[in-house]
Amino acid sequence: MFDWLERQAPKLVLAPSFAAMLLFVYGFIGWTAWVSLTKSRLLPKYEIDGFGQYERLFNAPRWDVAIENLAIFGILFIGVSMALGLLLAILLDQRIRAEGALRTIYLYPMALSMIVTGTAWKWILNPGLGIEAMVKGWGFDTFTFGWLVDPDMAIYTVVIAGVWQASGFVMALFLAGLRSVDSEIIKAAQVDGIPTTRIYTAIIIPSMAPIFLSAFIVLAHLAIKSFDLVIALTGGGPGYATDLPATYMYAMAFSRGDLGQAASSAMIMMMIVFAVVVPYLYSELRTRK
Amino acid sequence: MARAVTTNRKVVSTVFGWAIAILIFFPILWTILTSFKTEAEAIASPPSFLVFDWTLENYSTVQERSDYFLHFMNSVILSLGSTVLGLLIAIPAAWSMAFVPAKRTKDVLMWMLSTKMLPPVGVLVPIYLIFRDIGLLDTRLGLVIVLTLINLPIIIWMLFTYFREIPGDILEAARMDGASLRDEIIHVLTPMAVPGIASTLLLNVILAWNEAFWTLNLTAANAAPLTAFIASYSSPEGLFYAKLSAASTMAIAPILILGWFSQKQLVRGLTFGAVK
Repeated sequence: MFDWLERQAPKLVLAPSFAAMLLFVYGFIGWTAWVSLTKSRLLPKYEIDGFGQYERLFNAPRWDVAIENLAIFGILFIGVSMALGLLLAILLDQRIRAEGALRTIYLYPMALSMIVTGTAWKWILNPGLGIEAMVKGWGFDTFTFGWLVDPDMAIYTVVIAGVWQASGFVMALFLAGLRSVDSEIIKAAQVDGIPTTRIYTAIIIPSMAPIFLSAFIVLAHLAIKSFDLVIALTGGGPGYATDLPATYMYAMAFSRGDLGQAASSAMIMMMIVFAVVVPYLYSELRTRK
Repeated sequence: MARAVTTNRKVVSTVFGWAIAILIFFPILWTILTSFKTEAEAIASPPSFLVFDWTLENYSTVQERSDYFLHFMNSVILSLGSTVLGLLIAIPAAWSMAFVPAKRTKDVLMWMLSTKMLPPVGVLVPIYLIFRDIGLLDTRLGLVIVLTLINLPIIIWMLFTYFREIPGDILEAARMDGASLRDEIIHVLTPMAVPGIASTLLLNVILAWNEAFWTLNLTAANAAPLTAFIASYSSPEGLFYAKLSAASTMAIAPILILGWFSQKQLVRGLTFGAVK
């Protein structure tokens, strides 16, 4: 009996984690999928009704805004964070003093809750306080910076805060990548008199392709899940101008009493994540075998 | 990229690096400074930087009005509780995957990690309804359970990356000397695993401390930790920047301090083991 236990121990100790995730992920996603096919409003109903909720979702102007915002936010957030992260990594790679301290400071925004750091951002972006007041104080009386309250521009303030939060994280990933590039190759290139910029663009950056992919995946799924950022900065406003899918879902479930819409929007978000993550996982698993 | 850098360029890079650090740190610094201002000074235009009447008034007002300490304790209990519970479940799992890998261990691990990428909204509504029906809404116990479950994949992954670095030869040597499974775990594995467990603990405390999605959705007045409290603080009372900053400062201070004294673990943890 004890022998059997000892042989099975590795599997047995894995079982609770496995079961918890199985239930948590598939059980509850299954429930959400089911409800998204019903006429649930304030309370869940369980009679299947077809794809009516999805039809309503795709016809809802507010959902269009959320998806459009996700596109704007996603592209800018990923693009700018990666560009800045790479530049910061190259900067820190110059063997500068107190690199460890700098790296930690760059990473602090990622270690803190956006809900909390949002307090300062609301002040910085507030027209009449923050940046606008500061620049006006320097004598530029006509300067205005009211993106936070401008329905067309508010989503870009979310991008700014998001980039602030994530750049240091991307930097840390890229810095590790830069350090792992074979220094012999670089020395050889330097001996050959190849200029530094060319060494970066032709040798170092191409060899970091896998890290670019990982960073992209992490940022992409962060963008799709983004919730704190919007809640902290704009609460989805003005109106619903800065809604993202997650805040749309939140509004439907908790303030509109529309579970069916909440469930169907959650399913669409899930599909978007799958579309990004599954090809990546697939390629990861294939290359490892 | 190891190479010689001329002194001149080094100075320029250093200056530049610190300038950016100040820029990045500014919102955090500003929150801390504002927490010591009066409400009038907090919204003064142009803003005062260091020259103002420093006051601790905001801290006492926030405490009086909304029992801030309760929310602070909630944060502590939720992050420590979910971390300890998570570690209890995850340590055996990660141990098994690192030292007794099966054919599909890598796949299982990737699958576990991939679940962390799914948006939590996908499972929010059913959990909300279940919690409402069994009376776990707005309770610490309920949140500890949820936070444990959502961070479990990360905990297992982090522990796995640390455990993998423990040389397997040592275990074999212990086994050759006739050590039982129990001895192996207590006398050989545990001492070597402690640093990895400690770093994972740090990471998870930070993740749970910052968690806003679940805490905001599943709590009200009783079990709300700092994040949920701060998110709700601005709306009913209008924006009181100084008081809000006082509450925020108390929420970020533990992480700033903890992070500063364990920089290596912080970097490795936040990058999920990618940066050693």
